[in-house]
Amino acid sequence: MSTPLEKPQIIAHIQKSLNYTIFDSKWIPCSAKFVCMGNFARGTGVIQIYEIQRGEVQLLKEIEKAKPIKCGTFGATSLQQRHLATGDFDGNLHVWNLEAAEVPVYSVKAHKEIVNSIDGVGGLGIGEGAPEIVTGSRDGTVKVWDTRQKDTPVANMEPVEGEAKRDCWTVAFGNAFNEQDRCVCAGYDNGDIKLFDLRNMSVRWEKNIKNGVCCVEFDRKDINMNKLVATSLEGKFHVFDLRTLHPTKGFASVSEKAHKSTVWQVRHLPQNREIFMTAGGAGNLHLWKYEYPAQRCKKDAEGVDMGVAGTVNLLQNVTLSSQPIASLDWSPDKQGLCVCTAFDQSVRVLIVTKLNRV
Amino acid sequence: MSCLSGQERGTNKVPVEHLDYSFIEKCTDVRYLEKILRILRSGEEGIFPHLIEYCEKHIRKLDPKSRALRKEKPPATAASFTKEEWSQITDELKTWEEEIKVNEVKIKQTPLLCNEENVPPVRGSHCSIQVKSYSIGANKTKKNAAPPRDYRDWDKFDVEKECAKIDGDITENEPAVIINHGLPKIRRKMDTAALTEQEKIQLADREKDKGNEAFRSNDYQEAVAYYTRSLSVLPTVAAYNNRAQAEIKLQHWHSALADCQKVLEMEPGNLKALLRRATVNKNLGDLQIACDDVKTVLCSEPQNMIAKRLLEELNTLMRKNTHGVASKGKKISIQEVEEECEELEQELPSHKQAKGFSQRVGGDSSRSTAPKERGDMGNTHKKSHGRNEGVGGGGSPHAEPQHAWRGKGGKNANKYKVQPNGEAPDSDRDKDKLSNGNCRGQPNDSKKTEQAEEKVNLDAPAGALPPPLARLKNEGNQLFKNGQFADALEKYSQAITGFTEAGIDSPEDLSILYSNRAACYLKDGNSTDCITDCTRALELQPFSLKPLLRRAMAYESLERYQKAYVDYKTVLQIDMSVQAAHDSINRITRLLIEQNGPEWREKLPEIPVVPLSAQRHRVEAPPTAEEAQARAERAAQEAAKRAEAQFTVLKMEGNDFVKKGQYQEALGKYSKCLTLKPDECAIYTNRALCYVKLERFSEAKQDCDSALRLEPSNKKAFYRRALANKGLKNYVACSSDLKEVLQLDPTVQEAERELEEVTMLLKNSQDSPDKPRRNVPITEVEEGDEEETQAPSRGPEEVKENSPGSQNHCSDGPDANAQPTNAYDFGQALNAACSRGDVAACTELLRSTSPEKLPLYICSHLDGHTLSFIIKVLDTHLMETDPKLVYQHLSHLHTADRFSVVLMLLDDNERLQMTQLFEHLSAVECEDFSNTDIQNLASKYIRASV
Repeated sequence: MSTPLEKPQIIAHIQKSLNYTIFDSKWIPCSAKFVCMGNFARGTGVIQIYEIQRGEVQLLKEIEKAKPIKCGTFGATSLQQRHLATGDFDGNLHVWNLEAAEVPVYSVKAHKEIVNSIDGVGGLGIGEGAPEIVTGSRDGTVKVWDTRQKDTPVANMEPVEGEAKRDCWTVAFGNAFNEQDRCVCAGYDNGDIKLFDLRNMSVRWEKNIKNGVCCVEFDRKDINMNKLVATSLEGKFHVFDLRTLHPTKGFASVSEKAHKSTVWQVRHLPQNREIFMTAGGAGNLHLWKYEYPAQRCKKDAEGVDMGVAGTVNLLQNVTLSSQPIASLDWSPDKQGLCVCTAFDQSVRVLIVTKLNRV
Repeated sequence: MSCLSGQERGTNKVPVEHLDYSFIEKCTDVRYLEKILRILRSGEEGIFPHLIEYCEKHIRKLDPKSRALRKEKPPATAASFTKEEWSQITDELKTWEEEIKVNEVKIKQTPLLCNEENVPPVRGSHCSIQVKSYSIGANKTKKNAAPPRDYRDWDKFDVEKECAKIDGDITENEPAVIINHGLPKIRRKMDTAALTEQEKIQLADREKDKGNEAFRSNDYQEAVAYYTRSLSVLPTVAAYNNRAQAEIKLQHWHSALADCQKVLEMEPGNLKALLRRATVNKNLGDLQIACDDVKTVLCSEPQNMIAKRLLEELNTLMRKNTHGVASKGKKISIQEVEEECEELEQELPSHKQAKGFSQRVGGDSSRSTAPKERGDMGNTHKKSHGRNEGVGGGGSPHAEPQHAWRGKGGKNANKYKVQPNGEAPDSDRDKDKLSNGNCRGQPNDSKKTEQAEEKVNLDAPAGALPPPLARLKNEGNQLFKNGQFADALEKYSQAITGFTEAGIDSPEDLSILYSNRAACYLKDGNSTDCITDCTRALELQPFSLKPLLRRAMAYESLERYQKAYVDYKTVLQIDMSVQAAHDSINRITRLLIEQNGPEWREKLPEIPVVPLSAQRHRVEAPPTAEEAQARAERAAQEAAKRAEAQFTVLKMEGNDFVKKGQYQEALGKYSKCLTLKPDECAIYTNRALCYVKLERFSEAKQDCDSALRLEPSNKKAFYRRALANKGLKNYVACSSDLKEVLQLDPTVQEAERELEEVTMLLKNSQDSPDKPRRNVPITEVEEGDEEETQAPSRGPEEVKENSPGSQNHCSDGPDANAQPTNAYDFGQALNAACSRGDVAACTELLRSTSPEKLPLYICSHLDGHTLSFIIKVLDTHLMETDPKLVYQHLSHLHTADRFSVVLMLLDDNERLQMTQLFEHLSAVECEDFSNTDIQNLASKYIRASV
């Protein structure tokens, strides 16, 4: 490389091929371990725990379950318990104690169809208030769960009776900066993004970005909501500034055509909310930085406050695979360490350098 | 673009001739270039790697962010890095792996801390939101024009209803804008009850990160909130430091200052904190302190750009404060009028800086924070009033003239700083002083009341001036004060003409008029005329301070540094305390050296020697005693006010330390408090408490005395003095103090209890008057200290264990080896000696105790350490001189209660010591005991312990 290596570099530290389709991967908090969740060819689900040991990944445990597992999260567990919440192809929500994973700690038939996406908040010291799990499903509903309440969700966002059910592809928690406030953002296959306010049980904002919403994420879950990134089917992503909601124009946003194919994932760096990585359908990763405008808020022609979007700068991009990268997770403990899985049935541990100098 | 015809741009095709170096070089249309690049890359027209590269380079030049430049890149590998970088990366990961594994184990091992009651309850019953799919067309259909009404409909038309509908539509369509700042809703304190240490560190770190992020996006209030949260979990230097920076951005100077102080306490010499403190002080107007801090930073980091810049700013500010206006020309009058408006609006929030702030933060500055901000700004403002220095902030470096007029005096060194900016033209009082041969020319103090009333008697007699001239002069003064320098100038000129026409012979008055006019010229930036007037004034009244100072400034602004230097020097000869002159001389010296090289001094014109009579510091004759006193009082008030903020901070910190039991630290804080405010009774009593706790009784007593001098009926002070006296074993004084407490407040139970105890002690000490206490000379204690190295070292816990009555035994220990008369005294003395390893004291003690009483005395204090200590003392100190006593002690010691138990607790070393003792003892020949006796005795010690 001729250019001086001042930019962050993405290093493919470890790569390992597996014998199943991996849908999701997550770091186990406060450890050098991560879990991979997926689907064996024989139609069963699998959770594997890997640990990185001196440049290698070592399989510590493999747990096979009846149904393919689509997604998982540690967001609603304590640092001591570290229970994994998963959603499977059959619409079940399970919470597993990975040390004793024969029987789930919590189990509920959450949806009629596949759980596409799951997120947790209130655990790991991230987010004030009760630990809760949100699931989004093909059946069109978004449900919020509290593991202290059996069988029924604590909140349910379902389509109006009689209207076509839209496939909910992604859900994310945010705005959990005190015990009362909390938001769920959901993205649907028709390009709808909906921001549900769990405090008032209302739709706070909605927007259609014309193409299916593959992934949404708040820059941080546990602050007064600041930014939201939504990625779409046709390769664009949008960054919304959530601080100023204009009555007609809504939130200000900036969009960027990042990949030539679907942007499957977006994940913000846990140590710096301005930096995020997008994972594309062509097996590439793009690392971005959001720059704020000089003024985040201005008056429009009628003197009403409206937000001003900033700009996004590409910091680095790499191509890892020819297959879509379906999941991506930053290590919460080590800045720059991340794990990603692609549909080429391999899992990769990446190191991103110089993130603190950006 | 000029090279492209519209036709070419319109078509999608790129002509082959455009794939050319010269065309690409000239083309500025990035879009078109991207198109060219695409064709080149596709290879449709052949492959030209150099051309591709060239095209890319050109695009990068025009638009570095162009998407066409994004190439698919493989991930970086070891080859992409230098060897060091790569090993650093891998090593870092390895160490992290190891650390995290250790941490993980730790977390698993810690018992599950449940915090069930603190977890918020389950969200209310099953609630749901009905979701409609958001169609883009939905709004459009609404906008479609309604179909025209049927004629019959008009019959049913209800105007009011329709109107309401329209109104309703409007409100429906325009919901209020939501500005989303949850700042007031963020909890400032975090609940960390159920967290392990590891989690706390993580949490504190994360909150700090959140603060940093908020800071970077200019949400300073949010940043402060998150830093506060981080600090509530775990106080760290970084979080304090960052909070200070955020506070600086919010212009909460005092909080920022407190944070910087915290950092510097935790980590003295923290450069960032020093710089930040300097910034705060700069804005609070403490330029000198700020300067000191910056210089400290530059000492350790001479290349620090921020520090350099700050120092420059500080220097300019100081210069401006001393004379700055002259060079600025005529703008000033306008500026000052503005500032005057601010001054009038002081009660309102619309202070210039406050305004600036709210604009900057924009919609984020919520209403609730506004009053707070206001208060803060008010403070800053007040401060600058009081200090007679430039108003804080870069915005208005000039002190308003009113400041000086109302001038609260200030310190001697400060007072001249202001003069040039907000200088009051000399007035009548000056004249009096001048005629006294005192050129101090500082009328502000005395004029203050007059001016404060804002009612200026324009006809006030002015020296020897006839009434019309006096009036002119006063009008001039008034105008000057209002910043209307040109008008003032006119008045003074009229007065001067009138003066010469009238042919009055009063050089003092004329000198003052000229001097005042010179001030106007200076303000107007007319330095030449200023110099002429000053020279005239000086001819009339040689060596008067103000004209000299003004002329110096005028010279300086004209860059005639040599003359300015001479004038400043002369000023200093008259009055050494003119800070402005000192500063300017420093500055000018530098400039002169630059200009004239090392021989600059030789090129200076002669500096006139000021006659003694005109030297202010020699003729130290303050006008009247009252005035001097008034000035001193004002100065004290001033200092107190300035110290107030710092004082409260220190006091709070001190109290916190006391609460935590860190008396030594608290002591430091209180002492600092007292340097600021030596007449605060509460601080004395608090410090006394610390001293008592630290067992420094005599100091405690002194503090109580001071407190009682300030507040003769302070019961806390009495009580603490009683404790101190008790510690000093002055039981009489102690009991009288306690009685005093009880007289003041009979309900104090502690005092009653103490009194009982002390009366007992008093009785005991009186019972044995025949045994005089011997005061051990200090040298002996030192000896003891030296021997301490020989004594077995004792951990602090052991000491504690050994001295259950630690609050009573005194650390100086002069009484440690007084003859004990009862078990209590003996125990005290023994504990004291034992805890300090004071072998000599213990020797004395054993010498003076009769062996028969030893078991009785020692029984309540006997433990392993005491025993081994006694054995050691007997062996090393008493054996040589008095083996008989050793034998007697030993033969009685084993009869003490619990002796056998204690013996079993001894460790091997101690047993060895015991054996040695008996060996030594048996080696001694003595008629009082035989070897068999010793063996019998030894068996009691050694056999029992084996």
